Amino acid sequence: MDRERPSLAGFLLVAPALAMVGALFLYPLGYSLSAAFTGPDGRPTLAHFGKAFELYSGDILFTIFIVVVSTAATAAVAIAIAGILVLGRPGRAVALLGWLYRFPLFIPFIVAGQCMRTFLAKNGLMNNSLVALGLIDPGQGASLLDWRGIVITFVWKQVPFVTLLLAGAMAALDRATIDAARNLGAGRVRTLFDVVLPQVMPNLTVALTLSFVTMLSVLSVPMMVAGSQPTMLTVDMAFRINAYGDYATANALGVLSYAMTAAAAFLYLRHGLRTGVLR
Amino acid sequence: MLVRLTFGSLLSAATLILAGPAGAETLNVATAGDQNMVDYVKDYLGPMFEKTHPGVKVVAVGTGPGDAGSQKIYEKLSAQKQAGAAAWDFDVVVAHQKMAGQMVKEGLLDKYRAGIPTGALVTRDTAENALGADVGGFVMPMFHSQTAIAYNADMVKTPPASYSELVEWVKKNPKQFGYNGIKGGMSGVAFVTGWIYAFGGNTDRLLKGPYDETTKAAWDKALADLKDFNRNAVITPGNAGTLDMLNRGEIAMGPVWVDMFYSWQAEGKLPPSMKLKLVAPGMPGQPMYYAIPAKAPQTKLAAEFIALATSPAVQAEGIVKRFNWYPGIDAQHLQGKLEPATWQKLFADITPEDLSSKGKPFPIAPYFNDILESYEKKVAN
Repeated sequence: MDRERPSLAGFLLVAPALAMVGALFLYPLGYSLSAAFTGPDGRPTLAHFGKAFELYSGDILFTIFIVVVSTAATAAVAIAIAGILVLGRPGRAVALLGWLYRFPLFIPFIVAGQCMRTFLAKNGLMNNSLVALGLIDPGQGASLLDWRGIVITFVWKQVPFVTLLLAGAMAALDRATIDAARNLGAGRVRTLFDVVLPQVMPNLTVALTLSFVTMLSVLSVPMMVAGSQPTMLTVDMAFRINAYGDYATANALGVLSYAMTAAAAFLYLRHGLRTGVLR
Repeated sequence: MLVRLTFGSLLSAATLILAGPAGAETLNVATAGDQNMVDYVKDYLGPMFEKTHPGVKVVAVGTGPGDAGSQKIYEKLSAQKQAGAAAWDFDVVVAHQKMAGQMVKEGLLDKYRAGIPTGALVTRDTAENALGADVGGFVMPMFHSQTAIAYNADMVKTPPASYSELVEWVKKNPKQFGYNGIKGGMSGVAFVTGWIYAFGGNTDRLLKGPYDETTKAAWDKALADLKDFNRNAVITPGNAGTLDMLNRGEIAMGPVWVDMFYSWQAEGKLPPSMKLKLVAPGMPGQPMYYAIPAKAPQTKLAAEFIALATSPAVQAEGIVKRFNWYPGIDAQHLQGKLEPATWQKLFADITPEDLSSKGKPFPIAPYFNDILESYEKKVAN
């Protein structure tokens, strides 16, 4: 009992961490929230949001579209890789895959963006290779430097992260359930979707939620890979500040991003609390 | 211990920098812009000036790219003025148009131009007017950079000579023209500004003011047409993105900075078949200015430094040949100082006459913001 009473020493111990969170996270968050709702005369206003919607409604939808599609595609690829790693016949190929898939984890977004910019261009490395292999005719290749390029870059970058969490969780499962399903005649795909995946759903949700939030905040990829019409909200925020010094509208766009991450966080918390991952 | 050592060495390094080389006069040159601007002063102008002025040491300080770099120079001078300092830290500053205007308005600069021999060689109107501010006498243009339409001469035999012809060309050749919108760098911004000059009307007012916030209502038709135009255009990722796509043959035409274009071509990153066209009624460009702060410690040396930097020989060798910029002084004074090949290269596609008739400045700041925001509202969204 004694230990659970808050003590001054205990408080002092966490005080630096609290101060850090307060100064570096809560204060800027509160500041940007209040700036988004405050007019130049210091009175509360929704004018900045009006401007944000007037100028960037297309980009808001575009951002949601990109992040949702990227998250779904990341999930599909990550499930496939993790499934092969856990259920595939052990051998060199699987070992190689297990080693290779992590590489993009160590590559920063901006470097990935820079590589994709030349790789995915109409006459870029990818199409030139396809032409050299005789798979497509010269002139047939299309430029992927638009929304597709952003999605490809995001998926390429986020798959290892999600796979890492997913494959780890799958490997920790009781093998007996998998073996039982296989013995009873279930194929690998059925075992994956009916036996393995339901057991690791919480881990998958957490990994995807974190990916979603990460992708929403990346500036370099939409800036480098695609043209600016339409573009993601991060680019618009940077432009608002760099071109006009207009922090108010940038903050309003920021609040819209918070709303999107809040929706994702809601899923995360609901799953986490229900399944006990967070407890 | 380690921390203290590092801190100590930092301190002594700082002392060294502040003290400067013992017994020598120091000329402090602060320059906004990319690293190449600092290198230009440090590696090229500085040593040349030191040779003719024994005992003088030129120190170049970079304050960062873009208007933000000029902003830092302004803030420093403004703070020293308010603090009542007798001698300010910089002898020569190199700044962009917007901040140069601001500094003149606030009395931070010296009116030195009439006192140097090269002052009379300047003819461009940007030497008098910086985005609406009267800067005559206070600045010398260091160079002029210009935007123009680059095209692949193998794919385009007769390039459009005006914005109207370009519109027709793009209709006939969909997805062969690319530019970077307005969020990916200034070459796209310049293209859009030129569009407003061509189709928005009343260009003179945009360049000289006075500002009237209802002017932008007259651009609706021009912007709707631009939105239509964009359907057949490619939006590229950035200034370099346009050049990349030109290089890979993915587009045949697009707006670029002339100096970037020539530098890329010299490095082999653009094929020799690429050419430039400055379309009518004109596209914007911008100078950077040499100026002397009102309380520079070494006013006389500073004026001599700028006189050297704007002399025909240095403008020819340094500005035109090394960096592919247009000269800050009138180009006619350079003829004869440049090898014919270099002269040919810089003025082959865009003649000096083109440059003076179709090289426009950017509009005054409030109109500039109006153009960007109207584009966001009526074209991009």
